[in-house]
Amino acid sequence: MSDVIDPTAAPAATAADVPPELLAQSLRQYFRAWWLRVRSGDSGVLPVVLAIVIVAISFQVANSKFLSAQNLVNLFEQSTVYMLLAMAEIFALLLGEIDLSVGLVMAFGAVVVAQLVQPNGLHWPWWAAIAVTLLACAAVGAIQGWAVARLRMPSFIVTLGGLLILEGVCIVLLGGSLVSIGNSRFTNERVLYDIFNGWFDPVVGWILLVVVVGAAVTGVLLSEARKRRNGLETPPRSLTALKIVLTTVAGIGLVAICNVNRAHSGTIEGVPYIIPIVLVVLAAWTVLLQRTRFGRYVYAIGGNPEAARRAGVKLVSVRIWAFVLASLTSGIAGVLFVSWQVSITTNIIKAANSYVLLAVAAAVIGGTSLFGGRGRTMHGVLGGLVIGGIYNGLYLLGVQSQWIDVVVAAVLLAAAAVDVLSRRGAPRQA
Amino acid sequence: MTAHSGETPTETPGARTAVDFAAGHETAGADVPAGPLAQSLRQYFRAWGLQIRSGNSGILPVVLAVVLVAVVFEIITPEHAFLRPSNLVYIFGLSTVYMVLAMAETVVLLLAEIDLSVGAVALIGGVIAFKLVQQPGPGWPWWAAILATLACCGVIGALQGTLVARLKIPSFVVTLGGFLLFSGILVVILGGANGSLSVSSTAPNQRVIYDLVQGLIPPVAGWVALAVVVGIAGAALWLRASARRRQGLVTPPASLIAIRIALVALVGVAVVLVCAVNRGTALVAVAGVPWVIPIVFVVLGAWTLLLQRTRFGRYVYAIGGNPEAARRAGVSLVAIRTWSFALCSATAGLGGILLGSFFYGQYSTNTSDPGQLVLYSVGASVIGGVSLFGGRGKAIHGVLGGLLIGGIAYGVSLLNLGPLASPLEYIVPGGVLLAAVLVDVLSRRGTGSVTRV
Repeated sequence: MSDVIDPTAAPAATAADVPPELLAQSLRQYFRAWWLRVRSGDSGVLPVVLAIVIVAISFQVANSKFLSAQNLVNLFEQSTVYMLLAMAEIFALLLGEIDLSVGLVMAFGAVVVAQLVQPNGLHWPWWAAIAVTLLACAAVGAIQGWAVARLRMPSFIVTLGGLLILEGVCIVLLGGSLVSIGNSRFTNERVLYDIFNGWFDPVVGWILLVVVVGAAVTGVLLSEARKRRNGLETPPRSLTALKIVLTTVAGIGLVAICNVNRAHSGTIEGVPYIIPIVLVVLAAWTVLLQRTRFGRYVYAIGGNPEAARRAGVKLVSVRIWAFVLASLTSGIAGVLFVSWQVSITTNIIKAANSYVLLAVAAAVIGGTSLFGGRGRTMHGVLGGLVIGGIYNGLYLLGVQSQWIDVVVAAVLLAAAAVDVLSRRGAPRQA
Repeated sequence: MTAHSGETPTETPGARTAVDFAAGHETAGADVPAGPLAQSLRQYFRAWGLQIRSGNSGILPVVLAVVLVAVVFEIITPEHAFLRPSNLVYIFGLSTVYMVLAMAETVVLLLAEIDLSVGAVALIGGVIAFKLVQQPGPGWPWWAAILATLACCGVIGALQGTLVARLKIPSFVVTLGGFLLFSGILVVILGGANGSLSVSSTAPNQRVIYDLVQGLIPPVAGWVALAVVVGIAGAALWLRASARRRQGLVTPPASLIAIRIALVALVGVAVVLVCAVNRGTALVAVAGVPWVIPIVFVVLGAWTLLLQRTRFGRYVYAIGGNPEAARRAGVSLVAIRTWSFALCSATAGLGGILLGSFFYGQYSTNTSDPGQLVLYSVGASVIGGVSLFGGRGKAIHGVLGGLLIGGIAYGVSLLNLGPLASPLEYIVPGGVLLAAVLVDVLSRRGTGSVTRV
């Protein structure tokens, strides 16, 4: 189809239609195939990695504290909420839809979980509170997804109306002026508080790293060995080795940075709990989107809904589930959010609304297309890191918050322009 | 998304009848506008009924909704205070801001695009105008400040429109970025998070801006103005119809024109009558039509003329209906889209000046939430009957939708709901927005023109 529409496309661009990486036999071939793909417009994570490097270098030059271990951990922590919301948004964006309610679903989750553990209220155990919160958020997603998928109302409007209604619901649930989880005398509140503010002992951090990297490496090696035995296409061994080494180095770097003492006085050292939490969500959604039938259907609908429908994909149920997963992920962000903010007020609920812009920005900056069918969960994490880095860096420089908004807006527009222009280069965009 | 949903070639009017075999006779009849062909009042009403049943219900639902809201709130508000003249005039003032913003949003929605920055651009416009008349400060005359504001906002819109029209970035993202950008710049112009600007009601130059919403036309002058406006408008309508009839063109029946003029006159009399009641005390009388009401009518007239009677307007509808067909017919998509965004932002800028005047000439970072303004303006347009899928809607829909939103917002605040008052401010507009879009979606499904998968 693309050949018919775009006869002027370069041979390199046509090659990108068949993922050449799969066919590559050596590391050199792989890199050539990858480069062709980047040039054809499907640049993947390359731009966002470059953006992270640029952000890091420029803020480091402007303020030498930026890359200090203390600030980096801070930056990771602040970025996690953006990362989770961006991962949530990606489910909608992949379908070619949008979810404007992620920020308010996050606030909704935060209020619900905080109310459920109140010692002079419902006084639920923390795990039950979190489970019910996630279910409630998923239900919100199911209702919105139903309106989008079944009634075919524009997702944009459904989630716009949804966020307004949720804003009201949040204020109702809030009851008084604020709800707090900051009382450390109660175990449930302390556990919630520690999700964002707690950390592993340095030694535990190293052990975890070894276990995780070891398990991941074994898994990858075993699956490749099986593929090779069955005569399937496998990436070259050198590439696998390179990927393992890079992941290990990144992991070691992360743990090493987190294990530096970052307290002004006393000792605070170790990996914050939220970093593995985000990584678990990332891994789960990556597997879901890249390795399951549901994931393939999401990409199919995002690429061409009519074609997917004719191929027998149930548009309605896949769309509803995608919205459920988006709201569920926002609910996870909500649990982190209440742990981060400690107390939730009406003003914080209103402010939560602006997070949706950052979520969309993070997803698009990360490389997820606004037109559906292109993007990965990883993009949300990287994009969230860019947004978090910009916020953190400008804050360190003493820039006022209004200018930070201006910079984020410029970055969002730039990312959208890159998305549009890169799709123009790719043969897929007719 | 909405941005390219209209570009499927199956949406040409010809294909519409071909695709929708199941549609009844009414649908096929609605493709040829039956109204203009009607020769008698009875025929006209029959044609109108068919049109409504085919899903193209025009302003009827929103008018019914306005009546319903008025009746319901009159019944449920304490002491039945909703329809008191003082409250009605306050609702007019509050609604005018939403009306103007909804009219701004309408032109962009007609193109099947969206402008999420209207709220932020409106506030920027208001702040620019307020800044320019500051004394000490720039000290510009009020008319120059307003013109500069409209120009400034127009340029903002043209920039956003260029990104949408030329680079084909989805309007939703461009204006989302614009929303963030201008919300930030707004705080900068105001001079920080605690900054504020105000216009005085005593300084002669600033007073004009203060009076845009707060100022009153004395009742007698109001009656005279009403008579003049209705007289001129009625004469123009009547003369135009008779000119058309002389030339042998299709004209609506004379009785229909008479009814229309009578209805407009009736609405005008009602508004002036309500505003002429003394809303102050026996000692300090407050009576008269706020300046903002004729201002909104002028904006409405300008937008209606532009959209219904000029080539630009026809092109806007053509692009909204089917951009590819419009392009092949020789319409410059880039120019029309860019101009539409520019006009949208300029109108929004005017809305921002009115907003500042409505808040007694005060502008601070807490004056209004730009995000909520956008929601209300999109909501007002869609509730009024503008389709989100492009090509269907008029400026009057924005005005009626704005009145509805303003009425609901104020009615809810009158209810003395205590702790529930604040959440209902969000829930009610959200619910109304969803209901309106549902009606839009279902009514378009009836006409068979929604081919979205």
